Amino acid sequence: MLLNGVRRAATARAEGSGTKEMERTMTLSLRDSVHLVSDPKNLDGSVEEVFQLMLGVNCRRYSGPVEIAEPESVTAVVGFGGVLSGACVFRSGGSAAMKIAAHMTGMEFDEIDDTVKDGIGEICNMLAGAWKGKVPDLAANCGLSVPAVITGRDYNLHVQAPEFKLHHTYQFDDASFEVTIICDGLQ
Amino acid sequence: MSEVRTLIVDDSSVMRKIVERALRQAGLDPLVVFEAGSGVDALELLKTQNVDLILSDINMPSMDGLEFLRQLRAQNLSPGVPVVMITTESSEEHVRQAILAGAQGYIRKPFTAEQVKERVLPLLNAA
Repeated sequence: MLLNGVRRAATARAEGSGTKEMERTMTLSLRDSVHLVSDPKNLDGSVEEVFQLMLGVNCRRYSGPVEIAEPESVTAVVGFGGVLSGACVFRSGGSAAMKIAAHMTGMEFDEIDDTVKDGIGEICNMLAGAWKGKVPDLAANCGLSVPAVITGRDYNLHVQAPEFKLHHTYQFDDASFEVTIICDGLQ
Repeated sequence: MSEVRTLIVDDSSVMRKIVERALRQAGLDPLVVFEAGSGVDALELLKTQNVDLILSDINMPSMDGLEFLRQLRAQNLSPGVPVVMITTESSEEHVRQAILAGAQGYIRKPFTAEQVKERVLPLLNAA
């Protein structure tokens, strides 16, 4: 339900920005360049770029799962619409989210307040923008929704049969998080 | 440099703070900052406040940054004040649309304070 909502918003944004005509003419080339769109290096590069420039920290990818041994986790979703439909999903434990927000703002946090949620939403927004910016055809013909942020415990995001999915985990200092790109439609 | 009255338009309060910090790091001092969380709020604010510089996000709910810019020009608010778009959207098409709507500059998120300085200071010096 949430993913459908953010995708609709992103699609409306892509159409509103006058890219509909281009979208039709771009159809073949984007389908032909699916290997570029789904290149895992693009996601790693985007994460490194966003965290280096906005937080001043070096992130490294690692192969294990994100251990969220705390009661609350934070998930941010930014939808893609246009020639590619899907979403960029950021997920971390509450302490990692507070640490990221602290690096962004220079403030200290002891709870997941609105500023932390806002900061994580913006991180997800920049990750989505940086990722689609790696493929020029995608950058011009794919819109982004505004971020949606979910906090809580014991919840799952489920997507049925995506066209492709990238799911990577990263770490800086002692904080870990995961970023997932879900593509459920490519024109 | 004399006082620089700057309006930052972004639906994210965190991004507004980050942009303000980047402006201070860029040497804009003294800096007076006005904040708006949407294009609608920004237009209302500009009816009563004079500013020297406007920095606006594009991807915002209710009224996006491009529509804000069009309304700004249509209502003749803050004539001659440079507007710089700060956004995750970075394709040539998005830059073209921003320029057509009346923006003088474009900064892609994520950004460094140095990039903000390079884009903003020449506009202020030329104004």
